[in-house]
Amino acid sequence: MTATVGIPPAVTEETAAFWEAAAEGRLLVERCAGCGAESFPPYGMCRACRSRAVEHVEITGRGHVYSFTVNYQRWMPGLEVPYALVLVEWADHPGVRVFGRLRGCPPEDAAVGMTVEVGFEPGPGGYAVPSFVAVADVGDGIGGTGDGGE
Amino acid sequence: MGGELFERRAVISGVGQSAIGRQVDRSGFQLTLDAILAAVADAGLTLDDVDGLAMFPGGGKANVPGYANGDLYEIQDALRITTSWRQGIVEGMCLPFYGPAMAVATGQARHVVIWRTVKEGSAARNAGGRPAYGSTNPTAAGPLAWLLPVGALSPVCQIAPYATRYMHEYGVTREQLAWIPVTQRAHAALNPDAVYRSPLTVEDYLASRMISTPICLYDCDVPADGATAIVVSAAETAADLRAPVAIEAMAGVVDGRPSWEQWEDMGRVGYATAAAMWARTDLRPADVDVAEIYDGFAIEAVWWLEAMGFCGPGEAGSFVEGGKRIGLGGELPMNTWGGQLSGGRLHAAFGHTAEAVRQLRGECGERQVAGARVAAVTSVGGYEAGAALLTRMP
Repeated sequence: MTATVGIPPAVTEETAAFWEAAAEGRLLVERCAGCGAESFPPYGMCRACRSRAVEHVEITGRGHVYSFTVNYQRWMPGLEVPYALVLVEWADHPGVRVFGRLRGCPPEDAAVGMTVEVGFEPGPGGYAVPSFVAVADVGDGIGGTGDGGE
Repeated sequence: MGGELFERRAVISGVGQSAIGRQVDRSGFQLTLDAILAAVADAGLTLDDVDGLAMFPGGGKANVPGYANGDLYEIQDALRITTSWRQGIVEGMCLPFYGPAMAVATGQARHVVIWRTVKEGSAARNAGGRPAYGSTNPTAAGPLAWLLPVGALSPVCQIAPYATRYMHEYGVTREQLAWIPVTQRAHAALNPDAVYRSPLTVEDYLASRMISTPICLYDCDVPADGATAIVVSAAETAADLRAPVAIEAMAGVVDGRPSWEQWEDMGRVGYATAAAMWARTDLRPADVDVAEIYDGFAIEAVWWLEAMGFCGPGEAGSFVEGGKRIGLGGELPMNTWGGQLSGGRLHAAFGHTAEAVRQLRGECGERQVAGARVAAVTSVGGYEAGAALLTRMP
């Protein structure tokens, strides 16, 4: 895949682990060593119990689209349009919502509640950016209701 | 509420604006001076009375492309005044008069001028189109790190999922929401200073190009050039003022996650701010004669109609449909200057505040709401939100 056009992230102490894992196609979020709560984006502090003892956990399961947009405007030179942007949540990872692109279906097919797999694609500055993959066969009975992952 | 509210010890005494247009061929500095001089004269004051200066935003964001506030100290130097209170606001309650009201209510100043100057119209022209948000920086820092790398390159892309979710939850349609820009354009036709004044129809709206679904061109405010200044004075100086307007109540609460993409309930925005504001007054939504509510995007006006209690959750679509209720002569004339959708993106409710003050004074000519005594002003929306009621002085 050719890299998508955008602006690369400024990587920080808090976000380095996320971007390093992204390069390997893995989605890392913070998980509290004390209470087990997960949160995103990474702050080095648990958003549930405020503990500073946080570690990372990989999300591998299917998520659901909380909301989305299909962008048609060419905000930067070389930006290919249209493309869908999706906000993804996971029923078994409360506290986590990740914004990313959508592939595996025409952008116009994006829908609230649709099921997606975790994925990444080459983005700006050599970074891999979240790029969720539409799951054609929705067999879990959640997708499409519009309320998945809540 | 026990005790006197601090905002009752402040009044809005003056509003002034520079020329406003898609492009105005003057520097932001000159537009700022035009607006300040007009606002001070409008208050019935002279520059020597002014002892506080503020601008929104301040700090490092004051002059990103299209933001043209200039430097607060250069403005003070040009005005040749002495100040006992200054503020450059980046974060903070989102209402132009909130910080200045705190200053005059606590005796730190008597007359504060706050301004907002934009040259976003020129910036868009010079960039050959509306530039990507943050595109002048090589990397996306802070919260932008989760937006710009994936392609959410504009506030449009950041707001659009709210509109998607809202319409999904409540079944509100684009055909209904079209009436917000269409009605506001009809108001703009009566405002000589509005950027766009030619008629707009629902058909025009539905045929316009999509920017980021479901937000189309006419759902977006108009990048503009122009400056707005507001004078906030201590209430005890009212006798010296030409036509002050009272601040009945105001509030700005950040309750959910303060992040565009992490905000928990994208179908409901602004409720905590509106509730805090209503808790400070005996007035009720039905008492509001004119609503100058933030419309950076049409969906933000939807949030405010519902959060402020002008209609119930999910009812904004039917409330605005046909334009009767929100038009001049309706039960809640809304954005009578055209709003930012047609009047121009003067930003952060500076244009809305100027119109509210003029409506309460009866200075709005053809677009005047007869007998307006109570005006609602709201600012921005999403996680940062401000709401106020302004009232005509007895």
